[in-house]
Formats: sequence, C-alpha cells, structure tokens
Amino acid sequence: MPSASGPIITVQGVSKAFGGIQAVDDCTFDVAPRLITGLIGPNGAGKTTIFNLITGFLRPDRGSVRFKGEELVGLPPHEVERRGVARTFQHLRLWNKMTVLDNVLLGCQSPVGENALTLFLRPAAVRAQEARDRARALEVLEFFGLRHQAHELAEDLAYPEQKLLSMARIFATDAEVLLLDEPTSGFDADSLRRVIPIVRRLVEHGKTVLLIEHNMELISQLSDEVVFLHQGHVLARGAPATITRDPALTEIYFGI
Amino acid sequence: MTAYLAHYLVMVGIYSILALSLNLLVGYVGIFSLAHAAIYGVGAYASALVALHLGLGFWGGLVVAAVAGACAAALVAIPSLRVAGDYYIVASFGLQVVLLTVFMNWTDVTNGHAGLPGIPRPRVFGWVVDTPFEYVALALALAALTYAICHRLTHSAFGRVLQAIRDDEIAAAAMGKNVVLNKIVIATISSALGALAGSLYAHYITYINPSSFALHESIFIMSLVILGGSDRLAGPLVGAFILLAVPEALKFLAIPDTVAAPMRQVLYGALLIIFMFVRPEGILGRARPKALEPPPVTSHAIG
Amino acid sequence: MDLLLQLLATGLVVGSIYALCAVGWGLIYGTTLHFHVAHGAVFSLAAYYAWAGQQLLGLPLIVAVVLAILAAALSGLLIDLLLYQQLERRGAIRTTVFISSLGLLIVVENVLAMVFTPDPLRMDIGVLHNAVQLGPVFLTWLHVLAVALAIAGYLALMAFLKRSRAGQAIRAVSSSPEMARTVGIDLGRVHLLTYALGSAIAAPAGIIVAMDVGAEPYRGTTFVLLASVGVIMGGIGSIPGAMVGGVFLGLLENLGVWQIPSEWQSAISFGVFLVFIVVRPRGFFGRRIQSAEI
Repeated sequence: MPSASGPIITVQGVSKAFGGIQAVDDCTFDVAPRLITGLIGPNGAGKTTIFNLITGFLRPDRGSVRFKGEELVGLPPHEVERRGVARTFQHLRLWNKMTVLDNVLLGCQSPVGENALTLFLRPAAVRAQEARDRARALEVLEFFGLRHQAHELAEDLAYPEQKLLSMARIFATDAEVLLLDEPTSGFDADSLRRVIPIVRRLVEHGKTVLLIEHNMELISQLSDEVVFLHQGHVLARGAPATITRDPALTEIYFGI
Repeated sequence: MTAYLAHYLVMVGIYSILALSLNLLVGYVGIFSLAHAAIYGVGAYASALVALHLGLGFWGGLVVAAVAGACAAALVAIPSLRVAGDYYIVASFGLQVVLLTVFMNWTDVTNGHAGLPGIPRPRVFGWVVDTPFEYVALALALAALTYAICHRLTHSAFGRVLQAIRDDEIAAAAMGKNVVLNKIVIATISSALGALAGSLYAHYITYINPSSFALHESIFIMSLVILGGSDRLAGPLVGAFILLAVPEALKFLAIPDTVAAPMRQVLYGALLIIFMFVRPEGILGRARPKALEPPPVTSHAIG
Repeated sequence: MDLLLQLLATGLVVGSIYALCAVGWGLIYGTTLHFHVAHGAVFSLAAYYAWAGQQLLGLPLIVAVVLAILAAALSGLLIDLLLYQQLERRGAIRTTVFISSLGLLIVVENVLAMVFTPDPLRMDIGVLHNAVQLGPVFLTWLHVLAVALAIAGYLALMAFLKRSRAGQAIRAVSSSPEMARTVGIDLGRVHLLTYALGSAIAAPAGIIVAMDVGAEPYRGTTFVLLASVGVIMGGIGSIPGAMVGGVFLGLLENLGVWQIPSEWQSAISFGVFLVFIVVRPRGFFGRRIQSAEI
C-alpha cells in the first residue's frame, strides 16, 4: 500500500500525436489522493486527450500512467474503470432513453446479475443484488439531489441535472478516482451554487477528483491544486491562487 | 382445414423462436446477423444426425443443437465482434455461406442436396408426439420457454448492460462494462436459442435438406423482427404471426408456384421499405431502433 | 505448373470483376457510410439493362453496354435520391437506411425473377467468346476485356478523385462530412455523384458476368457481399484497398481450387476473411481504427 500522502495517479512522460499534431507532449504530473486537482489551460492544450490517455480510450505513443503504482497503459477502458479510475464526458454520453435510475444502476458493478449464466443459476442472489443496487443507486441520487427524478428519462432532465447525473453515474461505480470533464461548463449562477458544493463534498466520501475547468475564476473555488497545461505540456502547477495570479500564465491562457 | 391451421401454428412456434432469438442481437445490442437461417440449419442437422446415428432422444437433440449453434456462432463472433463497426454483418454473411456450403457438400454426413430423411418424431415424457395438435402444443411450449429465457435475459442487469452497449458503447466501457465480451456472449446465446428451432423443425418435418436454410431465409427472419418491432420482446412474435400468414393467403389466389415464391419476397421487401418510411420502429415498437451507430472510424479519406 | 498459371489467370479475371464491384461499393460506403446492399440490385439491373438493350431493342452490343452503364448509374443515383435521402430527411439513422436498402435489394431481384424467370438470360457476344492463348493459359477475349476494364475503370476513378473539383469534394466528404459542410460542400449532391459513380463502376462487372454466363436475378446479393468482404480486407475508405481486396478474393478462390475441391471455394474465402479481421482489422491499406470522438 502506498502511503496516504503519496500520489494516487502518476502521469509520466506521456506523449500522443494525431497525424502531425502533437496533442500531448511529454506530460508529467501526479494527482494527490483525496484532493481536487484542476487541469486547466487554453483550448487545445490537450486536457481531454489526457483524460482519454489515462482512461484507456487512447493509447499514448510514449510514457506511463500509474494508479497506486499499477500501470494503466495498455488496459482497455473497462479495465481501467474497474481498477478504480472513472471519467465523465464533455458531451455527457448519458443513456438518454433510459431512466435516471437506470443510468445510475449501470454504474453499479453487479457481477451476478450481469452474468448470463448466474442470472439463471442463482436467481436469489440476483434478486438480492438488484435490491442492493437499487438502494445504493437511490442513495447516490439523493447525494446528487436527483432522487425525486429517479424515474424520469435522462433526456428529460435540464442540462445541469444531466451533468449531475453523469457524475452520479460514475460515483456509483465506487471508483476512487473521478475524472470530471468540465463539470460546470454551461451553467448559470444558480446551477453553479448547486453543483460546486457537491463536487467539493466528493472528497469527503473518500474520492480523489481530477477535473477539467475552463473558467479561471471558478478554479480556485473548485480545486485544491492546479495543473496548468499548454500545448500538451505541463507549464506550471501549484495552489490555485498562485496559478491564477501568475501574469505569464494568464497571458497564455487568454492569448493576449 | 384444421390440419392446415395446425401446420401454421407449428410454423409460428418455430419462427417465433427464430425471431425472438435473433432479436436478442438486433434489438437489444444493435448487431445485424445474416446467418440466423444457417444457425437454424446447424440445429436441424445436429439434432437430426444424433437422432439418426446415435438414437439420441428429443431432449438430448435439443441440447446438442443448442451447443452446436452456439459453437458455430462463437467461431465468427469472437474474431469479428472484437472490432467495432459493420464487420459482423459481413462476417455473419460469410458464416451463412460457409455453413450452407457444408450442408450441401459434406455429403458423407449431410447427404448433400438429397437431404436427411426419416428423422424420428419426438418422444416427450414417454409418448410420441405425432398428431398435428400435439405438435402445436410442443412447438408453442418451446416458443414460450424461449420467450421466458429472453425475458429473463433482457429484464435484468445483463439486459440493461446490453441496451447500454447498443445506445453508447463508449459510455458503457467507461462504466466498466466489457463491451466485446457481452456482445460475444449474447451472439452465442442468440444462436443457441435459434438452433433449438432447427431441432424442432427437423423432428416435425422428419426430413431436412439445405434449401430450408438459405440466405433468403435469414433475411426473412430479420424481416419478422423488424416489422414486428425490435425494441419489444413481443414484437418478433407479432411479426411471425402476421408474416407467416402471408404465404398462406397467397395460396388462395391461384398463382403458379414459380411466381408465388418471388412475389412473396417482393411483398416482404416492399413491407420493409414502407415500414422504414411510416413506422421504422415496427408494429409493436415504441421508439426508433438505435442500432448501427456509425463505425468508429472518424476519418477515412478516399484515396 | 500450367494448371497453376491457368488458375492464376482465371483468378485475376474473377478478381477484376470483384474489384470493380468492390471499388464501387467501397466508394459509396467510405463516402456516405451507408451499408448499401442494394448495390447488388444495381449490379443485377445492369446485366438486365444490357440484355434488354441487345435482345429486346436490338441495339449493337457496344451501344447496349454503354447505355446499360448509364442506366445503372442513374439507378444508383435514384436509389439515393428517392430512398436514402428521403429517409434521412425524416431523421432516419443508419439502421433504417440499411434495412430499406435490404428491402430494395429483395424487391428488385425478385421482380426480375418474376418477370424474366430465375433462369439465366443469354446474350450474344460474338467474337468475345473466342479463346485467346497466352503461353499455356487459355482465356476468352471477354476475360481479357474484364481485366482491361478493371484497370481502366480504377485509373479513371482515381484520376477523377484526385484531379477534378467534384472528385476532391467526394474525398473531402469521406474524410470529414462536418468539415466538408463547413467549407460549403453540398453533401446531398456529393452523395448523388458518389452513387452515380459507384454504380457506374460496378455496372461493367454485372454486365461482363451476364455476357459470360447470362443475366441472373439473384447474383447481385452474392456479389455485393463479396464486395464488402473485399473492401474490409483492403481497408475501409481506401479505393486502392478495395481494388486489391477484390483481386485478392478472386485469386484466393481460384488458387484454392488447386488443392481443394471447387465446391469449397466460398468457404476458403470466408475463412481467410475471418483470419484477416483478427490479424489485420484495418485491412491492407486502411487507417488504424481510432475510437470515435469522445
């Protein structure tokens, strides 16, 4: 077991090129457990690509990604998730035609009910697990303030609620590390007031959060640590206040 | 007339099994297979052969048929479902062609075009099923069993995962679901169940030859699923009831056989096109099918 | 040795016919992403157009063939215009287009069977049936013509795609429809052009087979699915790939006969196809398959 203070995720020398474009270039940083780390940088800095590289949706050309010391590079996405690293998507990718509850239930790992064989051989265990999963899914929905909408279709939710649902879904997976791709983009002030505390409270539940954020002003409210990415490379990291006040970084960020 | 009705009902039972099992793939994971008739044939040949040569009874034959059907499908599903996209349509067509070639040319075993005669009537719990109505009962009972199995599969965490894969594979993988494994499992189950229909057919007609398991039969089974409505478990049943009545109705018009067969096909084809315009979700369907997402090739420049 | 050369030559001829069909289908698939099985209907129709031109209208063979190719191009274009584009306008997804395509294939082939019977309709091709001897290899002039047409058709298509403005538009759409739209390319028109071109290039394949062994209603189904196999082996989106994939299939079928009885031909091809998607799912020339936009 690594010590509690050691990094939970280590990204080491990761590079990825698409055609001639170097999207991520020798990127190195780590993520401390039970904190919220913000990944910021101008458009095209490679933030979402990093998410894809960590979660196995893309394979880096070089470099390694470790979770608690275990190499993740080369694992398919579902294996990465099962190790304990889950992610949301910028475009949410909810199951729109399913209910809110079903979306969250899909986050639960139900080895008995999801196996076509045990489904028939162990009906009692399947029933028990489905009941446990439902109870847990409803708890998760409660935490995200969506319980009263459990039986609505995902597509009928308002946008901020859909975004919360996309977080609830991965919260239900029991993954230790949650990668949130722009959890607050496109929100008005009211929605922000609702979502920010929920993101902050994830840490109280033992989660480690790595999030992508566009809004420089929000970053200090949302995160404990900031990694500043530019042209696929880590330019700076540190406390949010230091990063947001650095004139050189601000200049890059706003392209002045 | 009653014998006529009995025959119709037996065929409804057999095709219900075929359509229900194919729908596990088409409706619940959005994978199109053109090999279901060949799988049906594998079931028929497998149980006919063990009945003729080993004297295995009806239930044993069903098990052998299911295992043979599952193996044949797994052979193709394992390589082709590992890659996302339209590969399975092509691979399943290949399987259809290869299996039909085997039925026709492996004459030592299948007796080629001449087929296998003299398949015994099933013996169920000690009594021989040989009157038409007894056979109706058997066929419908097996169809009901298939329905129950499909219901269990689809109304469960497993079924939820299948539908999640159908609607968004990437999201499913992000939730820790093994997309490839689940697809292979359901393709195998679908074929095992489809092969049961073959066994039932072989023991009913007591004679089989390759012509019952050709490509147009695969397309016909697909039509039952799509016209009935692929997003509902009962959709394919409705499809079987209605579409099997069509050839019977055509028999009342005095059309020569050489014209009647293609005319029936024209009718099925036309129905498919018309339904895509007026009711793409099928007779019983609720929503538009969500299958066949664009293949995961973001760019493939011509040149 | 002579047998091997003969099989090689026959394989090349059959492969050329597959290649024409595959190039046409691959062009359409790569550009529109439609799994256009009704391409098989166009293939069959082309044969009947040529037959009708010669046998019913009494046209000279060459005129009948040229008109048949034009008619096939028009048929392909109309399928897109009147069927796929209408469905897409109603918000149809790819599945819907695929099923309608399958429906159309069934309708066309069976109408042909009802009207002309399922038996082959012979054409009168005169000297083309005469044998040519190339060393130890015997072919007919028609077979030589098939290879020549495949090469000419391929080169003409490549030149068109590379040089002409319309061809560049097709390539733009196939590499990224969204990008093409933003630079002002009319996707509907590009699709129509693609269907016309893809059908025109596959039509000679249907006609040559009809000239060789007669026009048959159900042949298109087999050919379109073989074309899709060729396209996948060659690499989706690659025209040279489709060409090579088609020729490869023809060679495979015929060289297989050297050691294995001919009734197992199709089994060999598909066996190789299955091995292929395991070891090289992107085909000979295809790009590496990337996961979709995340």
